[in-house]
Amino acid sequence: MARASLVLALSLLLCGARLLPAQSASDLLGQGVRAYQALEYDAAAALLERSLRPDSTARLADSLRARALTYLAATELFRGQRDSAVAAFRQLVLLNPRYRPDELVFPPQVTNLFQEVRRATKAVAVVVPPVTTVRTRLDPFKARLLTSSLADLSVMLEREDGTPVRELYSGPVADTLVLSWDGLTAAGAPAENGRYILRVTPRAQTADGPRARRVVLEVKQEPPDTLAWPPPPPFLPERTSTGPAFRSLAAGLVAGAAAVALPSIMAPGKDASGARFAVGATVGVAGFVGFFARKPRPLEANVRANASQRDAWKKKLDAVRAENATRLRTMRLVVRAGPETIAERGSE
Amino acid sequence: MKTIILIGIVALATPALAGSQGRPTLAFRGDAGFVWVRSDSAAAGTAGAARLRGPVLGGEGRLVFSGLAVGLGLSSGTLQTADQAVKRDLIEGRLVVSARPLPWLEMSLGPFVRAYITDSITERWVFWQARARVDAPIVTASLTSYVELWRALSSQVNLVAGAGRVQGGEAGIVYRPPQRPFSLRLAYRMDDAAVGSGGSGSETLEAISVSVIVGGR
Repeated sequence: MARASLVLALSLLLCGARLLPAQSASDLLGQGVRAYQALEYDAAAALLERSLRPDSTARLADSLRARALTYLAATELFRGQRDSAVAAFRQLVLLNPRYRPDELVFPPQVTNLFQEVRRATKAVAVVVPPVTTVRTRLDPFKARLLTSSLADLSVMLEREDGTPVRELYSGPVADTLVLSWDGLTAAGAPAENGRYILRVTPRAQTADGPRARRVVLEVKQEPPDTLAWPPPPPFLPERTSTGPAFRSLAAGLVAGAAAVALPSIMAPGKDASGARFAVGATVGVAGFVGFFARKPRPLEANVRANASQRDAWKKKLDAVRAENATRLRTMRLVVRAGPETIAERGSE
Repeated sequence: MKTIILIGIVALATPALAGSQGRPTLAFRGDAGFVWVRSDSAAAGTAGAARLRGPVLGGEGRLVFSGLAVGLGLSSGTLQTADQAVKRDLIEGRLVVSARPLPWLEMSLGPFVRAYITDSITERWVFWQARARVDAPIVTASLTSYVELWRALSSQVNLVAGAGRVQGGEAGIVYRPPQRPFSLRLAYRMDDAAVGSGGSGSETLEAISVSVIVGGR
């Protein structure tokens, strides 16, 4: 009994140790929020800063990070640490340019400071779905551009080695822009398999301009099922074969030769009349007549029948070709998006 | 002997008649030809070697079943030497039962009688022939060549030396005009009959003939 209790206690301890870091980040956020609401700003600041530490095992999700940064900025503002508050809001704008503090929760001095920081901080974010199935020309890949303030941006799709594939947008973005990519390159062909970079850069480089953003897109083609080519119809022979003509010739020549050779075969050494030559020549000539009568010639009825069959077959071929071309034009692409990252300065 | 032969022929023909399906048809052939006979034996009416020739007329009737036929033929003519010093009448008769195991092959069997007749003596040959004929169409159903070979299974002749090997062959062509009930035939035939077994001599018969065939197809 004592041993069982010991095992249970150790198990609970181990489980608790594993769950503790995951709980602590969100717990710290909750505790920080409660401390803020209790006007215990120093404690709140400490707790919120701890919840935002990047070395935290269970890193807060972006939405919770935004909440933590908002409370931290408000806490710092009420602690008289305006610079810290500005820094927190700046992080918030960079994290999510479209985030707005709830005006029912935070007083105007907090929201006003946020707006001030937002206007001063040029930020852009790219939101892409993790997996998109694109049907070229029909169902496009979509990405959202979020900006903290009006920004003049260029959105480029590039190969991983930097080769431009297609410019998707170039112009001002006031708040949000939904980008569409139909899966085609600038040449109009479906994008090939490989890694692509969706790069968002400011058109004019300024010191206070937004940092360029990039998202890695893994594109994989899924070729559509195409129709099989229709088999050719069983065409009729369009000319008679040479076989009957040569068989006729052989029949005449062999029988003629037999007539001439009969005396030698049946009565060797005996004289024979010339009658055999007359018959042999007649049969031989008949063989030539048969040869020319049965020599290969066009079979008009078959030619006509084949022509209509060939036309019908070609129509089927054209229909299949057109259908396949349509199917190939709407190739399916599976686009898997990586995380959004800030582009290095050198690549902007 | 004749009775036995007749019984044999009837025995061969009866199953064919009984087993045939469809109505039997009749075919007739009329022949006009020219015959050359070269005799190295002391044939009837001649002393030693002789060369005779002359026109021959003949005919044959056939009862044709599905794949089987029974035919009876007769031909006759007068032969003479070039200087017309020697004359002989030639009479040939035959009865044949034939079958076609293959469309292009006809096998036949039957007795054959040939007689050279002079005023004083008749030289008579009797032999049983086994014949094989191959038809080769030159123009389908219109022009056909054929080659026929035969050999005597047994032979008799009323010469002192007796009959030896007897064999022969025929080659020719048959033309069937379209939409006509008759056919035309041109044939060359050669038979060689050895007299005696020691090469005492032989009689060779050559014939060229033109025939009209009615019915039977």
